[in-house]
Amino acid sequence: MKKTLTVIVVLALMLTVLAGCGGSKGQKGVDTPIKIGVLVADVSGEEALGFRAYYENYIAKNYNVTFTYTEQLADAAAEKSAIEKFAAQGYDAILSFSSSDRATQLDTCAKNKLYYAVASGMLDDAQYEQYKQNEYFVGQIGPSMVGEYEAGLAMGEYYAKAGVKTVGIYGAFIPNPMHVYRAAGLIVGLGLTYGGASDMDAVVGQIFGDQGVDVSKIAGGVQVVGYLQGFGDTTFDELFAIVGQTPDAFLSVGMATTFFADALNGAGIQYADIDSFTSGNATNMSEGKLTYLAGKYSSSVGPIFAAVVNAVNGNLIRDDEGNALSLNQSYMVATDSDTFNEIFNGDKGDSPIYNKEVLDTVIGKDVTYSDFAALVASH
Amino acid sequence: MEKTKSENPDVRKYKLRQTLIDILPLAALAVLFAAFCGIVAGKGYRLDMYLNIIFNEGVVLAVVATGAIFIYSLGSFDISLGASTLFSATLGVMAYNATGSLPVMLLVIFGVAVGCSLLSSVLASVFHIPVFVTTVAMMSVLSAIASQIISVNGGALGGISIPAEVVAPFEPPVVKIVFLAVFCAACFFIFDFTKVGRRQKFLGGNPVCAKLTGISLNKYAIIAFVIAGVGVGLGAFLTLVYTPSVTASTAGSIGMNILVAIVFGGMPISGGPRSRIYSALIGGFSYILLNNILKLIIDSNTGYGISQIVSAVFFLAVVYVTGLNYRTRNLPR
Repeated sequence: MKKTLTVIVVLALMLTVLAGCGGSKGQKGVDTPIKIGVLVADVSGEEALGFRAYYENYIAKNYNVTFTYTEQLADAAAEKSAIEKFAAQGYDAILSFSSSDRATQLDTCAKNKLYYAVASGMLDDAQYEQYKQNEYFVGQIGPSMVGEYEAGLAMGEYYAKAGVKTVGIYGAFIPNPMHVYRAAGLIVGLGLTYGGASDMDAVVGQIFGDQGVDVSKIAGGVQVVGYLQGFGDTTFDELFAIVGQTPDAFLSVGMATTFFADALNGAGIQYADIDSFTSGNATNMSEGKLTYLAGKYSSSVGPIFAAVVNAVNGNLIRDDEGNALSLNQSYMVATDSDTFNEIFNGDKGDSPIYNKEVLDTVIGKDVTYSDFAALVASH
Repeated sequence: MEKTKSENPDVRKYKLRQTLIDILPLAALAVLFAAFCGIVAGKGYRLDMYLNIIFNEGVVLAVVATGAIFIYSLGSFDISLGASTLFSATLGVMAYNATGSLPVMLLVIFGVAVGCSLLSSVLASVFHIPVFVTTVAMMSVLSAIASQIISVNGGALGGISIPAEVVAPFEPPVVKIVFLAVFCAACFFIFDFTKVGRRQKFLGGNPVCAKLTGISLNKYAIIAFVIAGVGVGLGAFLTLVYTPSVTASTAGSIGMNILVAIVFGGMPISGGPRSRIYSALIGGFSYILLNNILKLIIDSNTGYGISQIVSAVFFLAVVYVTGLNYRTRNLPR
C-alpha cells in the first residue's frame, strides 16, 4: 500500500509538471535561417523522394533555409504532435505533404504561430473557405481533386481516341480519395458509365460507396476485362488473370510502374500510369510498353516554398479579396520518349524547372498573387 | 524464527533484489523524465511545450492500457483495443454529426466500446476458444467496418470529423488529468481492494486452482473486458479531444503499444498475482518518453526507423530484467 501511494504521488507530481506548463513563442532573429518543418506521410515513394531531394539538395543549397522532415506520419494525432514539436523547436513554417487532417494541422499551426502551406494535394472547397483568410495559412499549389479527375479523364480519352476495345484497370489504393477521383475520370474518359452515371460527383460517390470499382456497374463501348486494386499476396494472380485476356491496354491510376512494369513489359501489353518522371519510367517508355505517363515533376513544389519564404519575410501572398494562394497545378503528360525525356531531363539535379532564377521572380516584398498565378500557369 | 530468517544473508539478498526490481520501472520513468528534460533544455527547445506534447501523446495510451490490465492480469491478451478505439470514435463522430449532441456522442462512444469488448469475451465463451483469438478476428472486422464508414462519409477528405469547438472544453491538460486520475483510481480500487481484482489475479496466476475453488473464468473475463471497454471508450473520447477527426489509421498503433507499455511498467505479460494497475501508467509514459528521447537524439533526416530499432532493443532488455522478478526455478505456474 505504501509503495502504491509513493508511486501515485510521484506520478501525480510528474503529471502536474507535464501539464501545467505554458508560455509564448520567442522572437526569431532576422539573420537566422528560415527553418521549415516538413510533414510527410510517404517516406519511400519515388515521387516523395524526388520532392525531398529537390528541397534538400537544391533549395537548401541555394537559399538560407533548413528543412527538417518528420518520420512517416500515420494519423492526425501524429501530424498535430509533429507540428507542436516543430513549434517547440522554434521553426518558422510547416510544409505539409501529409493529409490525415489538414484542418487540425492548420489550427495547430495558427495556435503556435507557424505559417502553414499545403505542398501536395489541396484542401477541399469547404475547408478552403474556412481557412482562406487565416493569417497563418500561406496557401496551396498542386493538383486539386478536380485536377486528379481530369488527369484520369485525359488518360481515358487518349486511349478511347486510340481505339482500344478492351482494357484492364488498376485502381491503386482506392478509397484513397486521389485514386478515387482519377479512376472516376478514367472511366468517364473511356466513354463509359458507372452505375448509369457519367458525371464526376455521381461516379466518385459510387466508387467511394463501393470501396473500389465494381466492373458489373460499368457500361459502354470499351470492355473492362478485369480490375484490381491494392497490393497483396494475390495481386499478381489477379494481374496475370487480366494479362491472360490480352487487353488492348492496362490503365492504372497510380503505382503500376512501381509494381507491374516488368510483368507488363514482359507480356507485351501497353500500359498507362499516373506517377512521376523518373529514370525507371524513362526506360519503361523507351524500351518497355509504357505508352502514357501523367506525372508531377520534382521541382513542382518550388512555388509553394517561395510563398512560404515570402510569408516568413512579411509578404503573405493574398488575392484582391484577401484570400490565401490556391492554384491548381496540372500534371504533365508524356506519350513518347522524346516528350518524356524533355520533361525528365529538364528537371534534374542542379537544373530543375523551378530553379533559383525562376523562383527568385516570385520571392520578394512586391510579389503579388498574380505573379504566382502567372508562374504556375506557365509551367 | 522470523528474526533468524531475516538475518539470513541469502534471504536478505533475495529481498533486496526483489525490491530493486519492483521499483525499477518507476526509477526508469524518473530517469527517462530527467533525461528528457535535460536533452530538451540542452538543445534550447521549449520544455514547457514539449512536456505538454508528451502528456498528450501518453494520456490515451495510459488510459486504454490501464483498462487493459484487467485482461492481461488473466493471462489473456487483446490485440483489438486499437481497432475498438477507432470504431468507437468513428461511431461517436457519426452520432454527433447526426444529432449535434455531445451526450449522445459520449453515450455511443462508451456503449460501442463496452459492446465490442463484451462481444469478444462472449464469443470466446460461447465457442470455447481463447479470447485472444476472438480479439484478432474483432480487430479485422472493426477496422474494416470503420474504414468503410470513414471512406463513404469522409469522401475527398479521407476522414470524418466533428467541429473542434465541441471538444474544446475538454482540451486543457487539467481536464485530461482529472479523467485519467478518476479512471486510474477506480481501476486501482477495483483491482486492489475488491474480490474482482483478487480473483482475476488468482485466475491469471493459476487458472486450475482458481477453477477448483469455484471461480468462474468466463464471469471474470467478461468483467475484465467490460472495464477494458470503458478504458477504450475514454481513450476514444480523448483521441477526439486531441484531434477532432477520425481516419482509417487513427489509433492504429495503440494495440501493440499497450503491450509494450505494460511490459515497460514491470508487469509480466502472463498476468497473475504480480499484475499491477499502475504498470500501464508508468509504462505508457516511459515508452512515450523513450520514443521522444530517441527522436531528439537521432536526427530524423539521417534515416527512418532507427529510433524504432533502438526502442525494440530496449523493449527486449526490459522484458529480460523484469522477467527476473517472476522467474523461478521452483513450481512454475
